[in-house]
Amino acid sequence: MRRFIMRVAVAATALAGALFLFACSSAVYVVESDDPFESAWNDYTLGEFDRATEKFEALRAGAVVGGDEWCKAVYGLATTWNLRRPGEDTKKATAYYEELIQGAPTHDLAVWSRLALARMKHLVPVGETPDYGEVRKAYRDVMALHPGHLAAQEAFLYLQSTLISSLDPAQTKQALEALEKAVADPEYQFVGPAWSLIAVGSQTLGDMERRLHAEEMSLKTTEVDPTNPFTEYSWQYWNLATIAEFDVGDFEKARYYYQKLIEEYPQDIRVYGARQALMRMDDLEMKIRAEM
Amino acid sequence: MKALWYFIKSYFAILVVGLVYAWSAGAILVYRNRQTPPDAVVLRIGHWQLEASVRDAINEMAERYREVHPNVYVVQDAIPEGVYGQWVSTQLLGGTAPDIVQVGAMLPPNIWLSYYNRYFIPLSREVNRPNPYNKSTELEGTALRQTYKDGMRTAYVDEMQEYMSIPLSQFGVRIFYNKDMLKRLTGLDEAPEDYREFLAACEKIASQKDERGNNYIPIAGSQYHFSMWDPMMFDPLTYGAVRKADFNRDGFVGNDELYTAIKTGRLSMKFPPFEAKFRMLREVTDHFQTGYTGLTRDEAVFLFAQQKAVFMTTGTWDARSLQAQAEGRFEVGVMDFPVPAPDDPYYGPIVEGRNYERPGGGFSFGITRTSKNPELALDFLLFMASQQQNEELNRVIGWIPCILGTEMDPMLEAFAPHLEGVYGAFPIWLGGETGVKWQQLYSLYQVNQISYDDFVSQFEPFYQEQGYKDFLEQQRDWRRGMHQNERFLAGIRARALASEGDDATSAWVKYRALTTSRQIWAELGHNRQMRLIDQGPDLDAVGPYEYSPAILKKIRARIKKEK
Repeated sequence: MRRFIMRVAVAATALAGALFLFACSSAVYVVESDDPFESAWNDYTLGEFDRATEKFEALRAGAVVGGDEWCKAVYGLATTWNLRRPGEDTKKATAYYEELIQGAPTHDLAVWSRLALARMKHLVPVGETPDYGEVRKAYRDVMALHPGHLAAQEAFLYLQSTLISSLDPAQTKQALEALEKAVADPEYQFVGPAWSLIAVGSQTLGDMERRLHAEEMSLKTTEVDPTNPFTEYSWQYWNLATIAEFDVGDFEKARYYYQKLIEEYPQDIRVYGARQALMRMDDLEMKIRAEM
Repeated sequence: MKALWYFIKSYFAILVVGLVYAWSAGAILVYRNRQTPPDAVVLRIGHWQLEASVRDAINEMAERYREVHPNVYVVQDAIPEGVYGQWVSTQLLGGTAPDIVQVGAMLPPNIWLSYYNRYFIPLSREVNRPNPYNKSTELEGTALRQTYKDGMRTAYVDEMQEYMSIPLSQFGVRIFYNKDMLKRLTGLDEAPEDYREFLAACEKIASQKDERGNNYIPIAGSQYHFSMWDPMMFDPLTYGAVRKADFNRDGFVGNDELYTAIKTGRLSMKFPPFEAKFRMLREVTDHFQTGYTGLTRDEAVFLFAQQKAVFMTTGTWDARSLQAQAEGRFEVGVMDFPVPAPDDPYYGPIVEGRNYERPGGGFSFGITRTSKNPELALDFLLFMASQQQNEELNRVIGWIPCILGTEMDPMLEAFAPHLEGVYGAFPIWLGGETGVKWQQLYSLYQVNQISYDDFVSQFEPFYQEQGYKDFLEQQRDWRRGMHQNERFLAGIRARALASEGDDATSAWVKYRALTTSRQIWAELGHNRQMRLIDQGPDLDAVGPYEYSPAILKKIRARIKKEK
């Protein structure tokens, strides 16, 4: 009996100690938001996919089918199952995206869901090659069903990039025609990258003057992210300068961009190369003049 | 009594643990109370700098800060490097982390990224405001990030699009030397920065014996120290390969470009700049102590401190401790890495100048979300990042201040980074079997067991044959990056969709900018790389930095017209 009482006393003391330690410990900070959607997306961003899924599922269960909250919950759920690594379930993701498209076909997130389905066709698992015919068809569907929507504009850009990436002259020509129309459209929101794709396509086709012009336009139309102070143009300056120097032979333009690189980015790694280039062009011109 | 004895006997282990715990808790409480008065506001700062000068400098800053905020006390948790990762993880996970925590190393970058996300307060808003402690200086009214020598670049976390820390110092690598020994053994007052003169000094040192009859060692080396000699001195000699193999003209030679250049015969390991790198490596490391590749950092430092070696390369982080070890025994000098003269018969045509060094801040601190006084923690960091205090902080530590307009210890002036210079262009690493072969042969070459000719004859054919396979293996995962970007972008898009007004405009700009930079080019870049590897460059065409006949004709026509 005495032994039993002793053991109970020890257990009680240990429990009291544990409770004391627990009380002494600080509260663990957990990133939580009052907005349940923000909270679920925070979990997604932090890689807490199980928690994100639970929260989106709970939100979906409590929402009216087809309503705004329901759409947001289903879209979050689909995105999490689509992009979580590890543990992705593309079948579930597809089913949720399709459920959203059917349940609220006019909702903004239905458009993003269509783009996500197209992206799933494009971003195949490591080691596999996408069926580019299917990928392009999916992008075209987004563009056709939701013309002007940002998701459709993004689909257009991806579609053209698949054609340009093929490095095939015929497909490149086709993409360049479409891209030239897009950059002329004041409503198109990805103008800078579209010009960049035109530049790359022009290089494939050997049209260096057009490439230089397109790269300059891309620089002029680059969108600056206001929260990222490091929007760097040093690479673009270098690229333009070397195209002008070696592919077009426009030394004036080459000097202009090398000089801009040196002046605006004096700590850039390519400054040495830029100074060498300035000297190289001077030397060449001097040599040619001497020969004449 | 018997019952008590029985109780102690039965629960001895538990009682010991309990007593030790109680004693530890009591000791900590007493210790903490001694450090700070009962009503004080305590800021805890955790870091891995065990150098005495760092702790002294932070204490000095705390005292100065107390002159402005009399009730604020700073308590340091200085944790050894070896366990810092575990310590900071348990503190953050347990919600008991200090208010201010040193960040950015001792854990893999992806772990820091997740910790920044969960446990640290973003500082973007604050870094765009002036530092109030810069009042009455030329930096008054300047946004904090613009008061940094590097624009606070290292504090910006690209993946989060936020500033997450406040750096307090800059670092650099140079050669330290024993001035007294150099004078005694070579007659030189200053270490020679001309390469040949440096080698001659090393030879003179190696030819002399100490009182025990052992030869002096010119350079204290180890594998740790070699990793500094290579990028600072040997690798920049290979810069000339940029003109031959930078096929996409981005200014760098990629491992795909180097492989293609060697495979197609445009370059070989006998390319003079490559040979020069290995020749210099041999000439310099011949003056390290025998077997340096198997030695650790401490063993080399020991040789230097015991005055058995004259030169040793290391960074600003060791400057003060080396000075302290030398105090009263010898004077420590700092020199830049020696460079061959332009008229050097061998290196002259190859060497183009000093190596490029990217300036960047370190000794960075973040503020934890569990901090009871986050505003005060930020204020203390701003205090240390002000022009006057940053200079003093780094003066006491012996490091380089990172704020504009600050002065540094004259000894550290040699650490001023070379902002213009050349860089390595020999990325031979393809992993896989060629990687293993490279490591084996390179190790043998380092310890002088094979000649460069043997190295080349054994490695180059193997590299040409196996390199393609290894390159493909390395490329297998290129799509994995696209998946990760897609996940990241979905989060940014969700934030943009949920925001309104100016926030929405900004979020969508960010989304479009990131979509472009991260998802459009990967496929194109991969296809171009594969084409280059499969088909090689057009061997009839001119090099990437040469003028084609058509361009030359155009330039001639233009100049003729100008006349």
